[in-house]
Amino acid sequence: MAKKEIPEINAGSMADIAFLLLIFFLVTTTMDKDTAYVRSIPKKVLIKTEPVDVEKRNICAILANSKNQLMVRGEIMNNPDDISEKVIEWYTKNEVTNDVTNNFPMYSRITMREIDEKISEFTAVAEEFEATPNASADMIDFKWKQVTEWENKKKALKLLGKSELPELHFQAHVRIEVQKETAYELFAKIQSELEEAIFTLRDKASNEIFGESYGVIKKRYDANEGDKSKQAQAREDKEKLDLLKILYPDRFIEVTPKK
Amino acid sequence: MSKFKKEGKKNAPGINTSSLPDIVFMLLFFFMVATTTKDADPTVSVTPPEGVRATDMTPYKQRSEIDFMYLGKPRNAARAAEFNYGFALFLDNVAQPDPGDLYSTNYIRQWKKDKFNSKPPSMTKPIESVITCVKADREAPSGIIFDIRKELQEIDALTIAYAVRDKSNI
Repeated sequence: MAKKEIPEINAGSMADIAFLLLIFFLVTTTMDKDTAYVRSIPKKVLIKTEPVDVEKRNICAILANSKNQLMVRGEIMNNPDDISEKVIEWYTKNEVTNDVTNNFPMYSRITMREIDEKISEFTAVAEEFEATPNASADMIDFKWKQVTEWENKKKALKLLGKSELPELHFQAHVRIEVQKETAYELFAKIQSELEEAIFTLRDKASNEIFGESYGVIKKRYDANEGDKSKQAQAREDKEKLDLLKILYPDRFIEVTPKK
Repeated sequence: MSKFKKEGKKNAPGINTSSLPDIVFMLLFFFMVATTTKDADPTVSVTPPEGVRATDMTPYKQRSEIDFMYLGKPRNAARAAEFNYGFALFLDNVAQPDPGDLYSTNYIRQWKKDKFNSKPPSMTKPIESVITCVKADREAPSGIIFDIRKELQEIDALTIAYAVRDKSNI
């Protein structure tokens, strides 16, 4: 009997199988990116405290009513695209010199010596708390947090390379007040404008100080954060971002609507 | 005696298709890499509003540090009248014991806790920093958003994200 050759396997239907798989993946997946504005919700307060008086100049109130009309700092606004400009003005009006007569938040300018003094002062307080019997762990934690806060400011000022660190008044905040019937679209638009304002401010500062765009630093930090081999770069970027955050803090308050 | 051979009638050769699977596989791998799988098909229809400079949620998704909820008009129009303002809430990936609960804010706490307990052990974030992403319709009333916020505050899930469609060109 003659030697029989093994027949070749017909691969013609391989393409069909691959197509089937391809179509399955096309159907079960999505291509659109999920993008959102991340905000934090304040912790629930168990103890009722008196509301603190805040000077008018420290509030940048953005109001939207149930008919989707806008008001920013007492002025009716027809075009929601202008919010970011208003917010930028509110942030930067007194940045260079404080003018007591206008209605914008004050800046304090702290020197390295003042920061050092504060650090030793708060460290002493924290140590004292730790030594006190029955002091709650939360309280000790809080005191140490204050120390870290000042240490971060020290780092920021070093990075800034100037004699003084400009700092927005600690009570200054942006306030979003909407009503229950305000469309979510407008609420999201306000968030978008705030994000735009903060980005513009930080980007300008970033270009001046580091000669690099804020977006570039942020993207690089996000990419390197989880990468063990690039920790040095990530740390450096983190410090840069921290400085920009101290210069232009994003203090947004969303007020729960009553009606 | 001719120098040139007269060309006989010849059939066109068949095109070799043995590399077709390779091409299709290449396409397949592209789609596998470039896309993410759908979590759930929400039973409410959502048209997100537009915004600029929004944060990309993909890295959070990969680390399963994010839960999604949808706020929109019910696809079943007949049910719309049952809900506040005609908008219903859809919480993903949870088998709902009672279909009525699907759409009210009452179920948020239980849902969020269940989700948190079923996270993979590699996810070490505390519940405060696990993001709850609200995908709301552009016409949804903001009041419901704040109701959701309140429910989340009760269980100390303190990070919320408002989903928008990013139209900034980066």
